[in-house]
Amino acid sequence: MKKVTGMTTARNFANVFTLGAALLVMASAAHAGPREQAKRIHDRIAGVPPSDAVLASMEAQIAGGNPSAAAYTAMDNVNFYNVTLKNFAAPWTNREENVFVPLNDYIATVIGMTRDDVPFNTLLSADIAYVGRSGVVSAAPSPSNNDHFEQLEANNVNLRDDLVQTQQSTIMGIPSNATAGIMTSRAAAQAFFVAGTNRAMFRFTLLNHMCNDMEQMLDVNLSPDWIRQDVSRSPGGDSRLFLNNCIGCHTGMDPMAGAFAYYNYNEETETMEYTPGNVQPKYFNNDLNFPQGFRTTDDSWENRWRRGQNAYLGFDESLPGSGNGAKTLGEELGNSAAFASCQVKKVFKNVCMREPENQADRDAVAQITNTFRTTGYQLKQVFADTAVHCMGQ
Amino acid sequence: MKKVNVMHSPLGARSRNLLLSLVGSIVVAACGGGAATTENPVTSLPDVGDAPYTGPVAADADVLKFQQEFWSNAKGQDRCGACHNESVGQTPLFVRNDDVNLAYAEALTVVNTADPAMSRVVEKVGGGHNCWVSDPAVCATIMTTWIENWVGNSVAGGREINLTAPVSKDPGASKNFPADPSAFAAIVHGPVLVPNCAGCHSSESPNAQQPYFADPDIDTAYAAAKPKMNLDSPALSRQVIRLRNEFHNCWEVGCAQSAQIMEDAITDFANGITPTTVDPDLVVSKALTLTDGVLASGGNRFEDAQIALWEFKTGTGTTAFDTSGVDPALDLNFSGDVTWFGGWGITINDGKAQGTTTASKKIYDVIQESGEFSIEAWVIPANVTQEEARIVTYSSGNTSRNFTLQQTLYDYNFQLRTNETGLNGDPALSTPSADEVLQATLQHVVATYNPIDGRSIYVNGELVSNTDPVPGGTLVDWQDTFAFVLGNEASSDGLWQGTIRLAAVHRRALTPEQITQNFDAGVGEKFFLLFDISEDINAAPESSYILFEAQQFDNYSYLFDKPHFVTLDGSRPEGIPLEGMRIAMNGQEIKVGQTYSRLITTLSGSQFGELGQPLSVLGAVLPLEKGPADDEFFLTFDRVGSLTYDRPEDPTLVIAETDLDPASKIGLRTFDEINATYAAVTGVDPTTPAVDMTFQELRQSLPAISDINTFLSSHQVAIAQLAIQYCDVMIGTDASPNPAAATMFPGFPFDAAPGTAFGGSSRDLFVNPLIDNIMGTNIATQPDRTAVYEELASFTAAGGRPDNLVDRLVAGGSGTRAISKGVCAAMLGSAVTLIQ
Repeated sequence: MKKVTGMTTARNFANVFTLGAALLVMASAAHAGPREQAKRIHDRIAGVPPSDAVLASMEAQIAGGNPSAAAYTAMDNVNFYNVTLKNFAAPWTNREENVFVPLNDYIATVIGMTRDDVPFNTLLSADIAYVGRSGVVSAAPSPSNNDHFEQLEANNVNLRDDLVQTQQSTIMGIPSNATAGIMTSRAAAQAFFVAGTNRAMFRFTLLNHMCNDMEQMLDVNLSPDWIRQDVSRSPGGDSRLFLNNCIGCHTGMDPMAGAFAYYNYNEETETMEYTPGNVQPKYFNNDLNFPQGFRTTDDSWENRWRRGQNAYLGFDESLPGSGNGAKTLGEELGNSAAFASCQVKKVFKNVCMREPENQADRDAVAQITNTFRTTGYQLKQVFADTAVHCMGQ
Repeated sequence: MKKVNVMHSPLGARSRNLLLSLVGSIVVAACGGGAATTENPVTSLPDVGDAPYTGPVAADADVLKFQQEFWSNAKGQDRCGACHNESVGQTPLFVRNDDVNLAYAEALTVVNTADPAMSRVVEKVGGGHNCWVSDPAVCATIMTTWIENWVGNSVAGGREINLTAPVSKDPGASKNFPADPSAFAAIVHGPVLVPNCAGCHSSESPNAQQPYFADPDIDTAYAAAKPKMNLDSPALSRQVIRLRNEFHNCWEVGCAQSAQIMEDAITDFANGITPTTVDPDLVVSKALTLTDGVLASGGNRFEDAQIALWEFKTGTGTTAFDTSGVDPALDLNFSGDVTWFGGWGITINDGKAQGTTTASKKIYDVIQESGEFSIEAWVIPANVTQEEARIVTYSSGNTSRNFTLQQTLYDYNFQLRTNETGLNGDPALSTPSADEVLQATLQHVVATYNPIDGRSIYVNGELVSNTDPVPGGTLVDWQDTFAFVLGNEASSDGLWQGTIRLAAVHRRALTPEQITQNFDAGVGEKFFLLFDISEDINAAPESSYILFEAQQFDNYSYLFDKPHFVTLDGSRPEGIPLEGMRIAMNGQEIKVGQTYSRLITTLSGSQFGELGQPLSVLGAVLPLEKGPADDEFFLTFDRVGSLTYDRPEDPTLVIAETDLDPASKIGLRTFDEINATYAAVTGVDPTTPAVDMTFQELRQSLPAISDINTFLSSHQVAIAQLAIQYCDVMIGTDASPNPAAATMFPGFPFDAAPGTAFGGSSRDLFVNPLIDNIMGTNIATQPDRTAVYEELASFTAAGGRPDNLVDRLVAGGSGTRAISKGVCAAMLGSAVTLIQ
């Protein structure tokens, strides 16, 4: 890094920071008028302060009783796509929930679907992908590397203007009916179809898009008839562990993770494999741990959480609740009340920088979720409504 | 009665060739050679050869087999030969020593060749009639083995299981243990168990002995005490029987009184419990306990070359008996924390099961002759973190062994001393670490050795080791002074934690087929349970059943497996619907583990196979409550025949949301937002190499989450560095000024001397645009502009506080651009941009 001669010490900056912070706290306690609300909306949505002109425009929109329009103005800022949405989605694409990962096809798809108001309930099922406009970077989208997306990021390509929609099946080289939105993106496959037993894809989809981890779904009363053979029923010789804990998650998870039976991420070729009709060998790992357990024969799945305690997730009664393959499972999950509510809660956390903490917040989340579900699952609408809720008074 | 042939393999005949000649040679050496062996009351050789046989030769092959396999073992002076011979005259004279043909004829009157376990002689010793070890069941097992070895090959097609109708009984009301241990604590634990039993049955006792039903932790004590208390018949509680009938550490008041006190306490406790009655709406089968079932285990292990076998059936005491029937018995004595495992087995917590060196010598003697061998075990490793943990070893300490099968993390290791390896059996043969073959669950492991193929390790019937890198050798360097030990090193410094449900040593390297056969045979005590559904489907009484293969799975559960629909009267009903089968226990359906609750099928005689109509290939693990003798099972159905049960839905969870403490309404910009913000307010392209390089370097040092409480001083250092870099590029250098700066700061003389550039109101040409660009204008939620201006450009010191930043930097002697960058960085890297 270049040194600046005659530079003062960090202490000077610290002084200013401290002062600024103190003044800011005082100031934020003051009444927030349309201009301050506009500033906050822009900061929260775009991640950067607005220009004078944009601020004035947004201020006028708020003063005119249309704060939502002000939020949409803020969403015109390229940093809503290049920064806010990118970092919103990045932690979903890896097991460590690390935000410091390179741009990838999963993130780009979230950005593109948001930008184009593609119904977000198809996030887990559509044959959709977003890539850089032809020619903006040298590397073409590939099923075996992430170069295209890393170049988009390194060149700070404008993701608002230069992302284009395409079919995932074309890029990944799989049949259209084998695509399941971001679940069958290369990044998700690399993170969640690698090694293991493919349960990770289900668990992380649940975590990232239903806002629940397996522990919250524990239901020991469901039938264990679909729990695979690799789950020891007496770990270390103590079946209490199984009967009180393991069983509660696997009763629901294993029947749904059956949908991924034909998928694998090959670490050598760095591609996602899809083997229709042939269950991946990983489904038979340690199959002698409990030979009397379930043995996978195809990619069928069943949602056991439609009944019993977990029915509160609100699955769509017009869907059958069972099927074959990842796409139909993605439809099952994506059309649930929990999926919609989860997207809203994540946006709330991102924009308001906190969890919903009181009844007013919870009512707002419920209202925004309802709007989300009834007006075509537009994620931009969620950002706008949430930013308005948290713009201050 | 239905006879079911459970033998499938041609290797299945339970024919244990007894190595008669070999054992004979041991006997001769021990008796005639005056070998310096130490006699031991448990493991010493039986006195079988004290009276040489001089009678007529065996009349035919079957008599010869009888002589070799049964008669020679049973005629010892410490066994049946003490009485049942011609000299003592106790009839029947089935071990008479004057004429083996007459003995054979007598033996046929007390032996059931079709079902050796049901023989009169087995029944007698099993009932305690002059058993030569402390556990009559061990004598029964050994006697059965001898008979099977004698008659095994003559029983065509192997062993038969006779399915007989159990006594029909309706599921009864049953007392179940309350979840809350407080009544137990107040009535049984506090007044009786702790004062009288905590000396041993507590984890905190210096002589800690499981079960810990007198443990100071009430939950531990309650869990341990439940299987020992019989709520329906307190007098039959194990804790009462131990005192009243087995005189186990009675208290000062005497055994009878001690037992009465215990019984009274359990009775009081039980009286406070309301019996669970069976819901009359349920559609139910008749009821059974596990032990009402037909014994299904045993039979088809390959045991021809077996020279030692531990099945751990005894369940009490501190000795695991060798029931191979091959003398001398290598019984293993427990030391340290070793407990019995429900459904046959021992659990090594912190101890070992060790044979004497004298008894262990059997292994040495036999394997020296054969030159090959196998170690077989059914194990449940307690974890996958232990290293060099001995499961089965024949050794003297950490540096010297004949052989060892041990665990290291996810691997089984097999060490063997030959003339090609070291005295410690190294290098060990291991299962491939990457395969993680060893799992903390029930596994069948066999380690084989022969000089041609070397060492091999099989797990769950599959060969899992690679080719032995060490060529095969001889076993001439083996020592006969080592001890055979399970679960630890002989010197007690190689603890393996886990459960051993069966262990065996064979004098041959078992073939893959034989290993598969033993794996398929399984382990533990299994029962065929017949649940009568005749009434439910309007069939003839005691004709139609749901058959399960059931066993105690571990200390805390049962395994119900292979459900079949079967009839015992030869009828073949058709078209009977069956839906939603559940297993109920002690008056109520079990809440967890209902594998068959979604079953939908049709009972059909046309689908009958060997065991009837298979209903499912799945097994169900169900929690144990009172123990195998007391837990009463029955089945319930959502639909069977014309009967249905309208099952209520399980309730849906209602999430009660609670208010959180109010969180901060403001937060931090995170790394990319900071970078984008700096780019936006300075007009510098973030891909400019200088700023991009700095940002990539600092990216993960900047705030990653927006929560203001997570801000660290290290974040501020990174922010300052990035801010300096942006200001540097924004302003440029004297040699290479950034033209954009002139636009952003119109009129400010960057090229003038500092005194001029920052003199008088000229400084405002720089400071005012700087503040307005970075902070915005007229935004009430931003810091007070006047205060910020003062801090940067106008404050004059008084009372020790430093001057404003501009004046201090001018006084420092730097150039105009350098000072500008300093002021810019102070503003840019402040809370003004950081906080949103």
